[in-house]
Amino acid sequence: MIRLLRPIVFCLAIAVVCAGTTASAQSASESSSVQDLKGPGSDFWLVLGGSFSTIRGDCQTCEGDYPYRHSGGFLGNAGFRVTPRMDAGLEIFWMPMETAGGNIRNTHIDAVGQFRPWASKGFFIKGGAGMAFVRNWVDVISPEAFNQKALSIVIGTGWVFRPHSRFGLQVFGAQHAAALGDLQTSTEQVPDVIGNFWSLGGGIVIR
Amino acid sequence: MWGRCLIVALCVLGWSAGAGAQEPSSGRLRVAAGLFAANPSAVAVSAAPDPDVPAAGDVASSPEATSTGDSATPLEPDAPQASPPLNAERRACDGCPRRSVGKAFAHTTIINGFYGIANLVRGQETAKITPKTWWANMEQGWVWDLDDFTVNQFGHPYQGNNYFNAARSNGMSFWESTAITAFGSGTWEYYGETNHASLNDLVNTTLGGIALGEMFHRAGWLVRDTRKTGKSRLWSEIGAMVLDPITGANRFITGDSSRVTDKPSEFVPSHLAGFGSMGAMWRGTQAAEFEGTPDPFLEMDLLYGDVESGRSRTPYDAFAFRIRLGGGAGVSEVKVRGRLIGEPLGDGGLQFAVLQDYAYESNDAFHTGAQSFDASLSKTFGNTSAKTRMLLLGWGGLTVLGAVDSLPVDLEAPPEEQGNAVQGVSEGPRYYDYGPGSLFGVTAMVTRDRRPLLTAFYEGRHLFSLDGVRANHFLQRFRLDFVAPIRGPLGIGFTGEFFDRHTYYQDANRTRKSYHYPQLSTYLAWRLS
Repeated sequence: MIRLLRPIVFCLAIAVVCAGTTASAQSASESSSVQDLKGPGSDFWLVLGGSFSTIRGDCQTCEGDYPYRHSGGFLGNAGFRVTPRMDAGLEIFWMPMETAGGNIRNTHIDAVGQFRPWASKGFFIKGGAGMAFVRNWVDVISPEAFNQKALSIVIGTGWVFRPHSRFGLQVFGAQHAAALGDLQTSTEQVPDVIGNFWSLGGGIVIR
Repeated sequence: MWGRCLIVALCVLGWSAGAGAQEPSSGRLRVAAGLFAANPSAVAVSAAPDPDVPAAGDVASSPEATSTGDSATPLEPDAPQASPPLNAERRACDGCPRRSVGKAFAHTTIINGFYGIANLVRGQETAKITPKTWWANMEQGWVWDLDDFTVNQFGHPYQGNNYFNAARSNGMSFWESTAITAFGSGTWEYYGETNHASLNDLVNTTLGGIALGEMFHRAGWLVRDTRKTGKSRLWSEIGAMVLDPITGANRFITGDSSRVTDKPSEFVPSHLAGFGSMGAMWRGTQAAEFEGTPDPFLEMDLLYGDVESGRSRTPYDAFAFRIRLGGGAGVSEVKVRGRLIGEPLGDGGLQFAVLQDYAYESNDAFHTGAQSFDASLSKTFGNTSAKTRMLLLGWGGLTVLGAVDSLPVDLEAPPEEQGNAVQGVSEGPRYYDYGPGSLFGVTAMVTRDRRPLLTAFYEGRHLFSLDGVRANHFLQRFRLDFVAPIRGPLGIGFTGEFFDRHTYYQDANRTRKSYHYPQLSTYLAWRLS
C-alpha cells in the first residue's frame, strides 16, 4: 500500500500544479450562456460519495515512525452556489480505521468553498476549515472511547462530469488534516499529533 | 489494478485541467446578466455592479458603462483614445482589469517563484528545493511549524495578500480570489520550501491574505486616480503600487496605468474617514506598573465605507483598518475588520453584519494574533444630520486559528527567542501557542461631525491551545479613547488600554494564572479626510 501511496500523491500534486501552470497558455475561445452555466439545476449543491483513504497520524516532536493506515471513507457536501464558478457549504468526511490497540472514527465537519476556475468545465479546487471529532477506542485501557475535538482543514481538487446538470458525477482527490493535540494509544499518550488523510474518491452531484 | 486506475484518473485530471482551461469570454455578458436577474437586489442596493459577479462586458447594466463604456463615446475631450468594446477586452467595466483566470494562476505561481528565489539569494536553507523535498513534503502532510511570531502572523498573511491581488488584478472577483489565495498558499507550502507543509501557515496565509489583500487592493484604488494623465497620474499609480504591488505591477505591464477611464465604482467608498495619531505610550507589565521610558508610536486608522446602514453583499465595501508603528515594536498592531454581508433588521435601525477579522499585536510585553469570523449587531443613535451621534456595536464569532505567547506553568515570562542555527531552518522551540476558539466584544463610539470623540472598546477571546502548552487561554482587552478637538482637523488624545490574560492549564493541578498589561498613551490626533 505504501508503494501505491507514493504515485497517487505525486499525481495529485502534478494535477494541482498543472492546473496553474498550463492554464496560462490557454486562449479565450468559448462562449457559454447563462443557462449553460447554471443548467437546469437549482442553486442548491449536494455531493454524496465515498473514498479510498490513507491516514498517517504523526507526532512531529517524537522519534517514532508512525505507520500509514488505509480504509474507506464517506464524503458529503451540502451548500449553495455563490456564483456560477463558486459553491460554498459544509463538508462531512467520515473515516473509520483500525489501530494496533483498537479503532478510531474520525468525523470532519468543515466549511468549504469549491471553485471551478472555468465555469463551463468540470475542474475544481476546494479548500476549507472546521472541526474534527475523533473517537478513539483503546481496548486495553477502556471500553469507552476517548473523545477529542481537533482543528480540521481540507484541500482538494477534482473533476465534475456534467457540471451544469441536475445530476452529475465527480471524482476527487483531497487531503484532510486533523490537529488534535495529544492522542492516547495503548502504550503512551502521544503529544502534538496531526492526522493527515489522503483520499481518492467519487460521488454523485445533485443541484 | 484498482490503484493503477486511480493513478491514471488523477493524471487525467491534471491534464484535463490544463486542456479545459479555456476562458469563456463572450458568454460572460450573459453570465452577468443572469446573475443580476437572479439577485436583482445586488443592483438595487448599490450603484456599483456586484464585484462578485465577473461581469465583464456587462455594458447594459453597468452605470459606468452607460456613460463611459461606449467605444464610440470618448471619456473626455482630451481622452487619448477610445476604448474598445468591454466584452472584447474581457473587462467588467472600463476601468477594470482584463479578466484572465489562467494569468491569475500563473502570476500566483510566479510570486511563489519570486519568494523562493529571494529566499535562495538570502542564503536560506529552506529555499534549496528539489523534487525530493517536494516528495518528502507530500509524504509527510501538514505539520505545525516553528517560525517566529512575526513571520507566521504577519509575514505569511502579507504573502497571501500578494496571491489575492494576483487574482484581483486579473479581473477576478473577491470570492474567486479567495480560491487563488488558497492555491498559492498550498503550493508554496508543498513546493516552495524544504520545510514540511505547515498547517498554521496555510490558514494564516489564506485567511490573512484575503483580509490584507482586499484591504490593500481597495486602499490602492483610493490613491490611484485614473482620470489623470502625465506625471500626476504616474505618481498616483506609483503610490497605489506601494500599497498593492501586484496590482500596480500588472497595471504597468498591461498598460492600464496610462489608460484614462473612470475609477471602477466598486472601489469608490460610500464614506471614507482616516485618522492619524502620534505620541508616546507607557506600558506596564506584570512585574512593574509602568515603565519609565515611553515608546513613541504612530497610529493610522481607516474607516472605509459605511458599516452603520444598508444592505450589502459586496465583501469589504466597508472595513476598518488600523496599523500602529512603534509602541514596543516596529509594527506593534495591525487590525483589519471587513464586512462580508450587511443587512438592516426591522425598522428599529438595527444593522446585522458578518465580518472577517485579522488581528496582529506584538510588543515587548505580549504577542497575540488571530484569523476570525464574527457576526455583529449595531445601532446608531442620532440621525445622519445630527452633529453628535453614538454607535453601539456588539459581536461574537469563531476564531479559526489564534496565537498567543506560550507561558509554561513554571515560567513567569517567555524567554527571548533564539536565532535559528541555520538561516531559514526553524528548529524551535516556538514560544507561542496555536489553537482555535471564539471571540466576542462590544464597542460604543460617540462622534461629533463624524469624528470620534469617545470610544470604549472591549473584546474577549478564548483560545484552546492545540499546539504548545496545553491550556485554555482567555484574553481580554479594554480600550478607552478620548480625543479633544483643538483646531480644524487637529485634536489631542488620551488612550488607556488594559490587556488581561487568564490561562487555565490542563495539568494535574488545573493551575490558573493571570497576567495584566496596562497601557497609557497620549498623542496628537488629526483627521485625514
